Amino acid sequence: MSMTSTLLKQVNEQKNASKVTDIKALVNEASRVIAPLGPLSAFAARHPWERMEEQTFDEVADWLRNTRNVELYPSTSMILSAKSRGEIDEVFLEMSLQRWLNSSSFNIPRKAAECFCRYSLEMDEVPDNLLASPELEKSVKGLGSWKADASGHFPIQPLSMYKEHKAGGNVASLLDHHVIKWCKLYLDDSQAGWSMPKRDEGFYRSWQRLIQHDPALSRDQRRSLRNWPQKADMALEVALSALKIPQSEIQTYLEGHLLSLPGWAGMMLWRSQQSQHERSLLLEYLAVRISMEWALLKPYLPVQKKYLEKKVQIDSLVAAWIHCGGLTFKKWLKMSIDQQKEYLTFAYTFNERVRKQLCLEAWEQTYADQLSHKIVSNQHVHNETKPALAQFAFCIDVRSEPFRRYLEKEGPFETLGVAGFFGLPIETCELDSHHTHPSLPVMHKPQHRIEENSDENELKQYQQRKQAVESLSYTFKTMKQQALPSLLLPEVSGPWLTIQMLARSFLPRKAGQLLHSLRDSWLRKPDTNLSLHSAEETESEVSLGFSDEDQVKYVRQTLKMMGLIKNFAPLVVICGHGSKSTNNPYAASLDCGACGGASGAFNARVLAALCNLPKVRKALSDKGIDIPEETVFAAAEHNTTVNELKWLYVPELSKSAQEAFDCIEEALPKVSQQANADSISQLPTIKTRLKDPMAEAHRLAEDWSEIRPEWGLARNAAFIIGERQLTQNCNLEGRAFLHNYNWKQDPDGQILASIIAGPGTVAQWINLQYYASTVAPHFYGSGNKATQTVTAGLGVMQGAASDLLTGLPWQSVMASDEEAYHAPLRLLIVIQAPREYVERLLDSDKVFSQKVQNGWVKLATVDPKGHWENW
Amino acid sequence: MVSASIPVILTLFFAALLLSGLSGLVFLHKRVPLGYVRVHIGIISLPAFVSLAALLNIKGNDHVGLLHLDFLAWFMAFFVLMIGIVIQRFSVRYLLGDGSYRKYFALFTFIAGAASVAWLSDDLRLLVGCWGITLAGLTILIGLNREWKVTRTAARRSGRVFAISWLAILAATIWLFQITGSWNLSSVLSNDHLTHMDSWEKTGINLLLVLGVIIPAAQWPFQNWLIESVVAPTPVSAIMHAGIVNAGGMILTRFSPLFNGDIAQLFLLILSSISVIVGIGISLVQVDYKRQLVGSTISQMGFMLIQCALGAYLAAIIHLVLHGLFKATLFLQAGSALPRREGASQVSQKPSSLWVLTGYVLGLLAGGAYWMLVSGGAYQFVNAFVLGWSLSFSWTTLIAFSRGRIDRAVGLFFLGGSVIVYFLIHSLFKDWLHTAVYQGVQLPMPLVLIVVCLLILASVMGTLAARYPSSALFAVLYLWLVKLGEGQAKSTESHPSYLKQYLSEGGYRS
Ligand SMILES: [Zn+2]
Repeated sequence: MSMTSTLLKQVNEQKNASKVTDIKALVNEASRVIAPLGPLSAFAARHPWERMEEQTFDEVADWLRNTRNVELYPSTSMILSAKSRGEIDEVFLEMSLQRWLNSSSFNIPRKAAECFCRYSLEMDEVPDNLLASPELEKSVKGLGSWKADASGHFPIQPLSMYKEHKAGGNVASLLDHHVIKWCKLYLDDSQAGWSMPKRDEGFYRSWQRLIQHDPALSRDQRRSLRNWPQKADMALEVALSALKIPQSEIQTYLEGHLLSLPGWAGMMLWRSQQSQHERSLLLEYLAVRISMEWALLKPYLPVQKKYLEKKVQIDSLVAAWIHCGGLTFKKWLKMSIDQQKEYLTFAYTFNERVRKQLCLEAWEQTYADQLSHKIVSNQHVHNETKPALAQFAFCIDVRSEPFRRYLEKEGPFETLGVAGFFGLPIETCELDSHHTHPSLPVMHKPQHRIEENSDENELKQYQQRKQAVESLSYTFKTMKQQALPSLLLPEVSGPWLTIQMLARSFLPRKAGQLLHSLRDSWLRKPDTNLSLHSAEETESEVSLGFSDEDQVKYVRQTLKMMGLIKNFAPLVVICGHGSKSTNNPYAASLDCGACGGASGAFNARVLAALCNLPKVRKALSDKGIDIPEETVFAAAEHNTTVNELKWLYVPELSKSAQEAFDCIEEALPKVSQQANADSISQLPTIKTRLKDPMAEAHRLAEDWSEIRPEWGLARNAAFIIGERQLTQNCNLEGRAFLHNYNWKQDPDGQILASIIAGPGTVAQWINLQYYASTVAPHFYGSGNKATQTVTAGLGVMQGAASDLLTGLPWQSVMASDEEAYHAPLRLLIVIQAPREYVERLLDSDKVFSQKVQNGWVKLATVDPKGHWENW
Repeated sequence: MVSASIPVILTLFFAALLLSGLSGLVFLHKRVPLGYVRVHIGIISLPAFVSLAALLNIKGNDHVGLLHLDFLAWFMAFFVLMIGIVIQRFSVRYLLGDGSYRKYFALFTFIAGAASVAWLSDDLRLLVGCWGITLAGLTILIGLNREWKVTRTAARRSGRVFAISWLAILAATIWLFQITGSWNLSSVLSNDHLTHMDSWEKTGINLLLVLGVIIPAAQWPFQNWLIESVVAPTPVSAIMHAGIVNAGGMILTRFSPLFNGDIAQLFLLILSSISVIVGIGISLVQVDYKRQLVGSTISQMGFMLIQCALGAYLAAIIHLVLHGLFKATLFLQAGSALPRREGASQVSQKPSSLWVLTGYVLGLLAGGAYWMLVSGGAYQFVNAFVLGWSLSFSWTTLIAFSRGRIDRAVGLFFLGGSVIVYFLIHSLFKDWLHTAVYQGVQLPMPLVLIVVCLLILASVMGTLAARYPSSALFAVLYLWLVKLGEGQAKSTESHPSYLKQYLSEGGYRS
């Protein structure tokens, strides 16, 4: 009987003997440690620990440090740099320290403890000469028996991590090398000319077929996998049992494997949620991974788990006391052994992790304090307001804040903040495209499909023009993949590419603009209509267009969400936002996060068009929202890279609306100028003087060599839910998400609840994505952009091969290799409402109260009297 | 341009080169503001301008001291310097914030400068020395990020094979000196000396040269260094693929009187044919953008060396220049490699077989006509074959699959335009270079037929594999190609953990 069949038999016996938990359920449970990861071309922020919010932030941080050696607190140097910039106030640090001292128990004099802690919080390293001093050696004598009461809880790691491999590195890294290869070959989005054989039968099946021929394995290894089970779940069980993983540890064991390559595993998880026929893809992934682990480990089995006993360096603890605690060797030696042990225990407890945690809290509190001062001092400055000539609804995105500020300064304009998908659960389909994009926050599923369509005749012409452009790039791509034509390709396309290369290098702005205008004037996209009305009720999940009731429902909801139910100005502009960058795989990360990593232009058009429908207006007025006849809704796109507002949809204007329109047109150039001067001064540059911010902004957008076209949402820190008066005239430095909210219009708290559940979650996810990419750039970020390679048309890897990287690149959060730009702070949610409102919200929304309680977000309120309260 | 005498131009050229080298060194100093980089770009364009002026003033061959100043030499110097400028201009923004920002510019300047002198030199010592500086500079560039484990691995491996390659060329030149007593390339390769050389000596030297050129060209079985060196930042890859890997074509062209008609030619032909197939295979099965480009470089360099082996040095020079520009552009726009959101263009309906058939006939006719017109020769047969095949292929995708009159017209326009530009460029090059490039004796026809058959086999491989997906043979072939395109396991690191180091060390400027 072969090895495999023996193993199979064993598994079956075990199954019969005891009640075994279903392996599928275990995989599902284990998948909580990773986040689903979609393709980079629709990058939308993901909360890396979405399903771990039941644990506190600090618990998750400890667990990650223990299992993967990933640190979730800001690094010492970031803290020091924040301190030197005054972003961490000593007063708050002292307060955090006192709170910590009060909550922990120790048996040494409080005064000594305080002294020790204060000095260690300076993050000053113990000098080497002290560590090497002979006196230190004397002082630790007799302490040999002291042991920190480290909990005996060791993380369960993949067995391959314990074994060294002869090629260097442990077996786990060899395993990663193999698994990365199989993942990218399987997941490839038509980049390869010759794709993986039998790919359509599923990941596990095609792997199982091919692995017996893989020359990258030794003959023994190939042979041992030859008769491996046909089914993924069976294979997984067989492999686990061959590795002798006890039932009780299986879930943790799987978690350890998922965390080895969280990106590829996350992509598998995402795919498994997308289509029915791949729904067990994550299990197949684990089956492949653990089967290969077994094959690679087979010669070394059984593997001895060497638990790396964390050696506590007694001498460094003593040195810390001498250096920070104001003790001398003399005093130390005078103490009794028991006393010394108490001191050691204290120094051990107040370790680096606690210090960083306290600093992070102080950093966050300092920010909250500064923000509260800005807001509270603003309360008294109440300039009486003229009725607005135009109202603008912007996305809550932090980049809207400076633009809104400058816009309001330039005229009688009122701006509002609302989530940039404008409450429309739609997927969008552009003219003559086969692709639909779910244009809503990633945690929701679209319910309606909105298509662009146009005149039949014009469409036909347009299709041909588009096809002409596409077939050129298609020919280029396929010629690259054909043996003989590929040899000729450089000689044919070389001259064209050279002209392009030279132009883009030496005239980046002009060349980029020329190429775009050539393309646009060739394509001449016809005017389009949107399929707003559904032909009939369909039973399918996604209906084409809206029913009449839906139209009214969504418009009413969104208007209520942004608090625009009376005092309509003659012109209301719905502003989606997008960005523009060239040669940037992360372009989507600069687009609207509420629209699933795409521009919000489409949604803005849909909402404005809906608001102009007479039928909708009539139904709204029946429900108490009276939109005056002369009020017109228009749509525009705020381009965040060049800070310009581009009209997308302007219907026929009433007289007063036309007046408003002209007024806006006049104000816009100045607004863009100011907003650009502001945002460009933040970007690292080699120029000493900036002459023309507009030209520079356009260069950033068009330059193919630009590594930081804009800062995106970096430095985001707060989410303010309240009236615009609360923050008007405050310079929030583009760090705050702003959502309009008037508690007086929300007696039952419904609106607040939906703001917290929808836009609040989007903002939190964005915030944590930036946070994670800053504190753990190698694990949750995606490394240096200059050394990335796009793989499988899905995402990027570092260097020759690596995990599929999930987060933001190094350049999106760092000003340079030496200097951080993003400040890793957890989101501060500020609600302007009476205390009861917030209490009611916390009572009814358990998910949210868990977030607050476990430190995933911070909460503060401003009550009607203008008092700030931290929760 | 005013005509200037050779000594004036030469003085200007070396002064400009010296100045740009100094500028690179100046920029290394921490006290020089970052804005200086714009001045630096200005300074490094000087030698390129001078070489352009020299190109326009060139009259026939000229030997001045250690230098060999023909059109080819100045042209290659200009080409390398130009690539250097484009890449440094790109790096100004692209590498901004990098810890080694200043070092990149100094190294790029040295590499491009040394390579340009290498191609100008007639003295073997100067040539080998400058080429050595270029290779050493490239190795340092690959390993510039010292904190990162995988770059250290890649730099070590590249350095090792570069050393072998350089030593092989060094040995060949010393051997030549032993025989002829001269370091002067043009006198070494004079008929007088060549006829007095023993054939085994000739073959020995040629084999050393072949070893020396196939390593930088990443030919099988030395392809791994190029695969692993994609860990270097994009501009480094660009200069590597545009200006370094193709050195073999230039070296063989310079040594062509010695190389031609030797058995080593056959050896090179075999290795490079295998490499063409391996390279095409790698770019077919791999899914990483940069690795596909590496695969394509391997096959393109294989093709260039086939051209050399078949004695078509002029064609090889044209190919290496255009490929360099092509590949530099493709690397620099590596950030655009994600498929656009609309999805790839789908071909909706099957084209009528009449259109497809027209394509075949057209390809056949064009290939045949080309061969007749250029009046034979082994390489021209290969070339006619490639031309005809490509024409019929692009006809199919551009015209047979079109949706209507507009895009068919555009397709025809581009197809016609490409054909015209192709012939224009080739005839221009021919005019410029015919005096400088030795036109070799060609290999016998049966050998060429074997090469053609191999290429056809490679072409249909993908199609056949798609038709028989379950065949074990194709599965094995597929996996072998994947394996050839993968580096060692050591070149994989699951996460770039050196960044953790950066965080703990950096982030604080007092
Ligand atoms: Zn947005």
